[in-house]
Amino acid sequence: MVTSRIDHKWGMVVDLDRCNGCQACVVACQVENNLPINDKNAFLQNRAYEWIRIERYWEGDYPNIKARFIPILCQHCENAPCEPVCPVFATYRNDEGLNVQLYNRCVGTRYCINNCPYQVRFFNYWHPNWPERLQNQLNPDVTVRTRGITEKCTFCIQRLRRGQLQVERRNGGELGDSTLRAGNHMPACVQACPTNALTFGDQNDAQSPIKPYFDDVNRYNIHHESERQTRGYRMLEDMNTKPNVIYLKKVDPNKGSSGGHHG
Amino acid sequence: MASSAEHHQGGGHGQHAGMWVFPRREEVTSDVSGKTFAMPSVYKLALGIAAVLAALGVVGFAIRASSDGFGSPGPWGYYAAIFSFVFMVTGAAPLVACAFRFTKSHWRRPLSRVSELFAIVGVVNIVLFIPLLLAMPPIKNPDAQGTDLEVRRTLWFEVPIGAPYTWDLLCFVGLALCSVAILWLSATPDMAQARATATGFRRGLYTALAGWWYGTKRQWNHQKAGLALLGAFYFMLIIFVQFIFITEFAMSMVPFWKDSVLPPMYTVMSFQTSLGLILIVLFIMRKWGGYEGYLGKAPFWSASKILLGLTLLWTYHLFAFFITYWYGRLEVEQNILKYLFTQPYLPLFLANMLFSFLVPFLMLIWNPLRRSAWGPSLAGLSALVGALLFNLRTFAAAFNTGNHYEFALSHVPAAVLPDIWDIFMVLGGLGIVALVYLVSAKVFPLISIWEVKEGTLYQKMDTFVRGEYLVLAKPE
Amino acid sequence: MQEGRVLSTREMNRDLLRSILDTPRWFWPVVTVLGLVLLIAAIAIGIMVNRGLGVTGLNRPVAWGFFITNFVFWIGISHAGVMLSAILRLAKAEWRRPATRAAEVLTLFSLMTAMIMPIVHTGRPWRILYWVFPYDFARGIWPNIRTPLVWDPSAILTYLTSSTLFVIIALIPDFAVLRDHTTGIAHRVYSVLAMGWEGNARQWKLQIVAGVLLSALILPVFVSVHSIVSWDFGMAASVKSWHSTVFAPYFVVGAVHSGVSAVAFALILLRWCYGWQDYIRHEHIDALGRLLIVVATGWFYFLVMEILFGMYGREPDELMVRQTQFTYWPYNAWFIVFVITTYFIPVILWLSRAWRRNLWIMSIACISVNIGMWLERFLIIVPGLINKQLFTFVWADYRPSIFEIIIVAATFALVTMLMLLFSRVFPLVPLYDVKEGDVLKTQVQIGRRTVPATFRED
Repeated sequence: MVTSRIDHKWGMVVDLDRCNGCQACVVACQVENNLPINDKNAFLQNRAYEWIRIERYWEGDYPNIKARFIPILCQHCENAPCEPVCPVFATYRNDEGLNVQLYNRCVGTRYCINNCPYQVRFFNYWHPNWPERLQNQLNPDVTVRTRGITEKCTFCIQRLRRGQLQVERRNGGELGDSTLRAGNHMPACVQACPTNALTFGDQNDAQSPIKPYFDDVNRYNIHHESERQTRGYRMLEDMNTKPNVIYLKKVDPNKGSSGGHHG
Repeated sequence: MASSAEHHQGGGHGQHAGMWVFPRREEVTSDVSGKTFAMPSVYKLALGIAAVLAALGVVGFAIRASSDGFGSPGPWGYYAAIFSFVFMVTGAAPLVACAFRFTKSHWRRPLSRVSELFAIVGVVNIVLFIPLLLAMPPIKNPDAQGTDLEVRRTLWFEVPIGAPYTWDLLCFVGLALCSVAILWLSATPDMAQARATATGFRRGLYTALAGWWYGTKRQWNHQKAGLALLGAFYFMLIIFVQFIFITEFAMSMVPFWKDSVLPPMYTVMSFQTSLGLILIVLFIMRKWGGYEGYLGKAPFWSASKILLGLTLLWTYHLFAFFITYWYGRLEVEQNILKYLFTQPYLPLFLANMLFSFLVPFLMLIWNPLRRSAWGPSLAGLSALVGALLFNLRTFAAAFNTGNHYEFALSHVPAAVLPDIWDIFMVLGGLGIVALVYLVSAKVFPLISIWEVKEGTLYQKMDTFVRGEYLVLAKPE
Repeated sequence: MQEGRVLSTREMNRDLLRSILDTPRWFWPVVTVLGLVLLIAAIAIGIMVNRGLGVTGLNRPVAWGFFITNFVFWIGISHAGVMLSAILRLAKAEWRRPATRAAEVLTLFSLMTAMIMPIVHTGRPWRILYWVFPYDFARGIWPNIRTPLVWDPSAILTYLTSSTLFVIIALIPDFAVLRDHTTGIAHRVYSVLAMGWEGNARQWKLQIVAGVLLSALILPVFVSVHSIVSWDFGMAASVKSWHSTVFAPYFVVGAVHSGVSAVAFALILLRWCYGWQDYIRHEHIDALGRLLIVVATGWFYFLVMEILFGMYGREPDELMVRQTQFTYWPYNAWFIVFVITTYFIPVILWLSRAWRRNLWIMSIACISVNIGMWLERFLIIVPGLINKQLFTFVWADYRPSIFEIIIVAATFALVTMLMLLFSRVFPLVPLYDVKEGDVLKTQVQIGRRTVPATFRED
């Protein structure tokens, strides 16, 4: 139980200019969140679990061809299309800005999967299996999901909870140096990213490095995109889902700052 | 005059009093001709009022054209609205006769000519349509910049030669031709019968139009087959033209208004209002025209069920649109909802719902009211008012979105109120329809003589067990 | 309109109760075969529940496939009952009389079958209890009424309840006839079911009032059921080709199209099985055919609207879905088959009066419609999911597995079996309705011709 009343609103900034497509985040996520191992069959059946995935697109024609990488994870939309369609409230918005999934409540209608434009929800078509020698690597803080359940990125909520218990409660609920910050708390993917392309933080924390980006993108909506001061944008912004993940456009030295990609 | 058609009031008991009337077959022709050629003072008064209104409309149009020109669509929003209303109502009106002739409903017999006569208004619609074509913004963006589209979203994906002006106009001409053909074919036996007794210009007209008709069995078979074919063709044509019209002049004017249920909704509303208008005309004929010997309450009673169905169907289509846009929560769709429904035009929308749905619905679910002549007519009038408001809201909004080449509606524009010339044009539109209809009612008889006479063969009252009931014969 | 022989009440009872009182020779073999198909499907479902939905062809983007397609299809079939019984009853179409019972019963059984599909589709059927029934009063966790998936069971269960009432009310006079024709246990069962029906004036009046009232009240339910099923798709703004405003009327008209065709085919089968040539006559099938031309053309109009406005927006993601539907193998082939079988083949066949009265041709047309309508739902559901949004990286195709095919095939066997069993216990042609039609018949003399006519009650 978290007794702290500190008002968090988590968010993430993904700097596409720094992402080199190394997939460290994907592996870290896989390990942290007890995702089943994506073997050959999982890919052949198009049923791989990738709570965060790196999409690779080619830009330009040979020989001036460039690989572009976009890490895509659950956008934790403020206005999430997956939430209203669940008949049993298995997915809902919690008071820290996260879109969370209750595995015990999920009945497997898969409507949320259909209605997620980012395709970041995964259905357990099979019961997950790990080889005997890997049983001990499972994270004890994270549930192993059974078959018939939809799952997705949680922003490593187990880490958030542990951090809140260890740091915030000690201080009586005041937001001080010892509260969770971008520096002292991060999901597995952020921690693993070698180029710091991913930054996690609290939008309500004035000193959080992600705050300027969110302020900027919130101030100028999609119709005033050209007035934005930063490279920030939201994916599929015209869908009005209001994600809590912001992407920073690739810096293209030849083109100024207009190399953005809207998914 | 009215007394010359002696008739048997059918079903004399209880709630069915005056439901069915059976005119005397021998006297129908002379009686209807007499009524057609008469000029009672009520008629002259109505003609005068219609002429004044039409004149107002012409004045309003002239001033609008000279002061604003045809450069931008904005000032023509209300003109588009009244044109759409006139087209919606009168375009579908001839269909009522065709549809119920197709289902072999006997109660339609006294109303089929009333419905077909609106074909003449269809010809006027072509003239009224031309200014709209001039006011429409071009499909290709003349000064594309920034995020604007180079080609406006329209039905003409590749923008063929002559689109949209030529093709739209052709649609309306085709529609008018088809409906006039239906009127001509349907009225031929009546004109042929009257060509001997008619005098003056009518004699010449009837001889020219119906001189070929001798009423042989072969001719009758051809006439009936022709009417069925033309009716089916007109049915498809009107739905197509309505689809073109509402898409071109309302939907594609609002950036990113992508609404596949709008054409069906417009069509359903046109059926609802045209049936309503025909009921009003029937009511006037019955009350002041001396036609009560032909019009029992049966047409009202039967049409009222269909009117109720269409009212519900319209609301259903509107709801299908509303819930899809509302639930989807896409920003562009939210803006369109706000613009057309919930923000600047909210009062018009609420009034539209009141008159198009709530009033007719509450009236028509009440049986005693539906069994009267005035009940369904009043419901029809309410539907007409609602449809007028619908058109005002839709077209005033669509023509005043500002930038028609925007990728999507990025803001909610303000409402545009009509000025005095707009009001003149709206009144004028109604006046022109009334004027044309009143004049044509003196050229063609308002009762389809052959159909009514045929109907008396197929319907009679007979005893069943202990009561008198209507017997309907249906020829295969 | 009156064709066929004039029959006495005794003859009618004998003919129409034949299906109940004698066992036809083909009956048990057919039931055995159907039962075997159902057994295989039950095994397939068992394996699927045991091993997980992995045995299906569903994958990451395509989370809804054959099961949901089949669900929509059977819900569609269920629309025939009300279309024929309620609307034609209110419209006083005389030719409806022998067709009503079969239509209503088909409604019941196809609704029940349809409801199996989403339950099978979730993979762990017992968890549905959480969903359809508000299960946890103490913690205040109620179903989420914002989702179409809760509107669905509400509408379907309402429809099922009201259709059941509709069938039972129409059956009461026929139960009484059966009560008087049976002995022993059957007699006692029918006595209970007949609820003391004596056929006095008050009972008839109540029965008629109940029938008319239910007809009127069931109409909004009828429209709402398939509208809500369509909103399962229409509400999903993320799947571009699903989020279309026309879906509700489009689905309803399509449902009527496939449902009435299915009823026509069922009537032809019944006529052939039980020798009801004097009751289910060519004129009835002919009238159904004429009705279907209008319904089919209305449906085609909505289809054109849906496709045209899909492309009207010129959004790349939606255009991609349309491209899949129209040009990618195998969807392009299925699309052509779909359009031809749903509209062109049947309507061309129905246009000719002689062909409408040829039972073989009519059967082909009706089966063709239902093949097409099944494909229609498939082509709406799957291509929309294959290319959902512009994340080309995760696009994936869908191929149904043998499990899905077996289960879908078995639903057809299930409906057939239920209809057959029903026809052995209750009359599938309403005796009282046919007799009433007979009583109201009369004729009118016009010149030298005698034209058939009917007494009207209003």
